[in-house]
Amino acid sequence: MRELSFEGTTVRFGTGRSALTAVDGVDLTVPAGSVVGLVGESGSGKSTLAKAAVGLVPTTGGEIRLDGAPLRTSRDRRKLQLVFQDPHASLDPRMTIGESIAEALPGRRRRAARTAEVARLLELVGLDPARARSLPSGLSGGQRQRVALARALAAEPEVVLADEITSALDVSVQGSVLNLVRDLQRQLGLTMLFISHNLSVVRYVSDVIAVMYLGRIVEAGPADAVLSAPRHPYTRTLLDAAPAFGVALDDPVPADDPRLDAEAPSPHDPPPGCRFHRRCPIGPLTRPERTICAETDPQPGAADRPHRAACHFATDLMEVPAP
Amino acid sequence: MGRDQWRAALRNPVGAVAAGLLVVLAILAVVAPILWGDAAEETDPAALSQGSTSEHPLGTDALGRDIMLRVLVATRYSLGLALLATAICVVAGVLLGVLPAVLGRRAGRLVTAAVNLAVAFPGLLLALFFAVIFGVGARGAVLAIGLAGAPSFARLVQTNVAAVAGRDYVAAARVAGVGRFRLVARHLLPNIGEPLVVNATVMAGTALLAFAGLSFLGLGVQPPAYDWGRLLGEGLDRIYINPAAALAPGVAVVVAGLAFTLLGESIAQVVGVRAVRRRRPPAADEPAAALARAAAEPDAVLVADDLRVGFPAPGGGWTHPVDGVGLTVRRGETVGIVGESGSGKSLTALAVAQLAPDSAHVTAQRLEVAGVAPLGRADAEVRELLGTKVAMVFQDPMTSFNPSMRVGRQLAEVTRVHERQGRRAALARAVDRLRTVRVPAPERRAHQYPHEFSGGMRQRAMIAMGLMSTPELIIADEPTTALDVTVQRQVLRLLEDVQAETGAAVVLISHDIAVVGQLCERVVVMYAGRVVEELPVGRLGAAAHPYTRALLASVPDLATDRDRPLATIPGRPPDPADRPEGCAFAPRCEFADDACRVRPGLAAVAPDQRAACWHPRTQPLDLALDAVPGGSCDTDRRWGAEGPPEPSVQGVGRLERVRDPLHDPTSDRGAGGQA
Repeated sequence: MRELSFEGTTVRFGTGRSALTAVDGVDLTVPAGSVVGLVGESGSGKSTLAKAAVGLVPTTGGEIRLDGAPLRTSRDRRKLQLVFQDPHASLDPRMTIGESIAEALPGRRRRAARTAEVARLLELVGLDPARARSLPSGLSGGQRQRVALARALAAEPEVVLADEITSALDVSVQGSVLNLVRDLQRQLGLTMLFISHNLSVVRYVSDVIAVMYLGRIVEAGPADAVLSAPRHPYTRTLLDAAPAFGVALDDPVPADDPRLDAEAPSPHDPPPGCRFHRRCPIGPLTRPERTICAETDPQPGAADRPHRAACHFATDLMEVPAP
Repeated sequence: MGRDQWRAALRNPVGAVAAGLLVVLAILAVVAPILWGDAAEETDPAALSQGSTSEHPLGTDALGRDIMLRVLVATRYSLGLALLATAICVVAGVLLGVLPAVLGRRAGRLVTAAVNLAVAFPGLLLALFFAVIFGVGARGAVLAIGLAGAPSFARLVQTNVAAVAGRDYVAAARVAGVGRFRLVARHLLPNIGEPLVVNATVMAGTALLAFAGLSFLGLGVQPPAYDWGRLLGEGLDRIYINPAAALAPGVAVVVAGLAFTLLGESIAQVVGVRAVRRRRPPAADEPAAALARAAAEPDAVLVADDLRVGFPAPGGGWTHPVDGVGLTVRRGETVGIVGESGSGKSLTALAVAQLAPDSAHVTAQRLEVAGVAPLGRADAEVRELLGTKVAMVFQDPMTSFNPSMRVGRQLAEVTRVHERQGRRAALARAVDRLRTVRVPAPERRAHQYPHEFSGGMRQRAMIAMGLMSTPELIIADEPTTALDVTVQRQVLRLLEDVQAETGAAVVLISHDIAVVGQLCERVVVMYAGRVVEELPVGRLGAAAHPYTRALLASVPDLATDRDRPLATIPGRPPDPADRPEGCAFAPRCEFADDACRVRPGLAAVAPDQRAACWHPRTQPLDLALDAVPGGSCDTDRRWGAEGPPEPSVQGVGRLERVRDPLHDPTSDRGAGGQA
C-alpha cells in the first residue's frame, strides 16, 4: 500500500457562465496504510474528487500522485479502486457476481486460477464462495456491497476509495459493512479514502478526518482532534447538527441563528472571501466587526493554522481555555 | 429479457395473433416455392388476364399465370428481402451506435453529429438516393432500405448506450480497467438488448412496406423475379377489370407488416411496463384484531386497527407487506414510525392517506383519519373529505412538485381546488405560507420553478403546501433522508414549530431512529409489516424488543467506541411473501425459542410501552441518552469563550429544555417569519 496525494487538484465542469468548479485546488494526503475520512454535504465535491482520482472525471488542474509519482495513464489509475455508493447500480445485472469480480483481476490467468481467486475474495468479504454463480438480483444490498468491495480488491489496488458506500444500505446492514471495512483495512493494511456525509460513520472508520465545503478542504486533522476541538465553524455546525439521542431539537445551536443563511450558496457563484461566511455563526453576520471574512479568502494561510483550517479565526479558538 | 417475459408477450392476445401470423408466413415462405414454384411460373395462353374463375380463384396475369399461386410463392422473396434489409439496418445501426462509446471523445462526437444529420434526412429520399447509386434492382433496394433505416436505429442505440454508459456498473468496469471493446460487448450491448429487439421487429414490418413501395414504383425487384410489391404494381393496371389481382398482394403486405409491428408492440409492452392486473381482493382473513387492537382514544386523529395492505402475488394469492398494523395518533402528538426498507412503514402511511397504489388492497378492522372512515368510500369523496385534513411530505420534493409549474401557483392550487378561492387570494396565502416555513424572500420565490429551489427549500415549500389548509395530520415520509445534516436539522425544527403552532398531529416515518428520537414523543417500530414495539422516546434506552435494541445498537454515533465492532443483525428481513410463522424476527433473534413459533401480540411491558415479544428484555441499553453536559455536544466548550453566539444559551445542560424566544410557539410568530 502506498500514499495517495492530491496537490492543488481542480475539477471544473462546463464553460462560460454555466461553469462550475466542483473541486477547487484540493491538497490532501492519504498516508499509506491509513484511512482518511472525507465529510461534507452533497455538492461539496467529495465524490468528484474520488472520481477524478480514478479517472472517471478529467481534472483541470493540479496533480494526483501515488507515492510521489503522478498518475497519468489509465494503467496507473488502476492502482486506485473506487467502491460506489449504490450496490444496486454498481453491479451489472446480467453478469454473475463471480464474472463481475473476475473481470477486475489484473493480467491473464487460467480459468482455474481465476475461479480460485474469486472464491478467495468472496471469502475475504464474508460471502459464501458458492455464491459466485448467482446474479446480483439474488443478493441483498449488504451482500452486493460486499461483492463491490471484493471487486475493488480483485484489482489489487494500492488505494481504495469508498464513496458513500453505506448510505444506500439499511442501518442494520450498514453496521456489518462498516465492520468489514475496518477488518479488511486492518487485515490488509489498506490505504483508504472513505467518503461519507455522515460524521458518525466517518468517525468510526477514519484515522484522519478532512472536511470539505464548496469544493475545498476547510479542515483536516487527526479524527479525535477534529471532532473534539474543531477549528472550522463549518465542522462545528456539522457536529451540532448530527442527530444524537437525548439531544432535543429545541436545544439551540449557534447555526440556528436566524440571521444566517439557511442555504448553501450556489457553487456556480461562490461568495467572495470565506465561502462559508454567510452561514458562519461566528462570522460577519453575527459579528459585524469581522469584515475580513467577507473580503479575504482564508484558504491561502490555511497550511499554517491548526488542522489546516480555512478560517481567519481558527487560532483564536485555540487560545480559549476549556472551561 | 427472460423466458417468462417472452412467454408473457405471447400470452397477450395481440402478441399471440401476431406470432401465429408470423409462423404461418414462415411456413408459407418455406413451403410455397417448393410446392407451387413451378405452377406459378406456368403461362396459360388460353387464360390471359382473366378475372376470378374456378380454376384461378384470383384470376391470372397478362401472361396467364395464376395470381393466387404467385402471391403465395412471393412470400419467401418478400419476407427474405425485408429481413435482409432489416439485418443490414440493425448491423449498421449497432456499429454506428456503439462507435461513440468505443472511439475517443472527439471522434465520438463527430460520429454522433453525422448520425444526427442522417436522421434529419428523410428516409424515403435516402432510399431513393441509394437505389440510384446501387442501381435499380433487388440488391440495390435491399441496401437502400437497410442503410436508410440505419441512422434512426443508430440513434436509438446511441441513446440507449448513453443511458447505460452512465450507470455505475459501467463506471466500475472502467475503473477496474476493462477495455473499450469488452465494455461494449459485456456491459453495454446486453443491457440495451430489449429495446433493440422491439425496434428491430417493428423495423422489419416497416422494411416490408418500404420494399413493397420500391417494387411497386419499379425501383425494387425486377422481372422475371417478383415480390408482393411488383405483383401489386402489375395488378393495379387492371384494378377495374380484376380487383383481386391488386388486392391480394396488397393484403399480404398489410398482414405481414402488421404481424411484425404488433409482435414488436406486444414485446414492448411486456418489457416496458409490467402490466398490473387488478385481481379480486382476497377473502377476508380471520381478524387478527386480538393481536393489534388500537386503544380507543377520544381525541385521536388517526386510528388504525388491524390495517392490512395486500398485493397480488406473481404466483397467485396475495402478499401483505403491511400485515395487521395498529396505530393511534392523538391530536397534537408527534409519532415516529421506524423500520428498515421493506418493513412496510411507508406503505402504512400511504394506506392511511388513501394514497396506496391502485393494485393494493387495503383492509382494516377500523380506520379513521381525522374523524373520517375512508375505506369503502369513493375516491372523489375521500379526496374531498381528506384533501384539507391530511398533509403529506415526501422524501424527494423534486418529484413531488410539478417541474413545469411555479411553486407559488402549485401551492395556490391546493386552496383553489379545495376552498374555491380566487387566484389572487390563493397566491397571497401561498406567499404567506412560504414565509411561515421561513423561505427567504417568499414573494420572489413563489414565482420560481421547483428546480430553482435547493433540496431543503423545496422540502420547506412542500411543508408550506401542507399548510395551505389547516391539516389535522401531517405525514412526513422520510422528509430529510435526501438532505444534509445541517438542512435536516432545519427541516426537523420547522416541522416541530409547525406542529406546535397548528396543533396538528405529526407522523414521521424514518429509517433513522436517531432522527425520530429527536422530533417525536412516541416511537413505533415496524418489522416485516408489523408493529413490534411502541414506546415513548424517553424509554428508548429501555427498549424491550430485541429488534428495537439491535437497531439502536447498530447505528454508530459520535460517542461510539471505535475499538469495538458495531452490533449487527445477522440475516436479512423476510420477504413479505415468505414471512416465517410466528414472530417474524425469530430467525434473526438470539433469544428465540419454541415459544416464538406463535405470533406474539403487542403486550404492555411498562406504562405506555408495548412490545410484541415473548422474551422482552428488561436491562437498560447502553445509549448516550443520559450523557452529561460536557459530552460531545456541549456547546460551550466547542465554541470557546467567545462563542456560542446568540441565540444559544450558555451554561445550560442539554437535557434541560430551553426554548429560545424565536422558536417558542407562545411568542410572536412574526419574529421567526421575518428571518
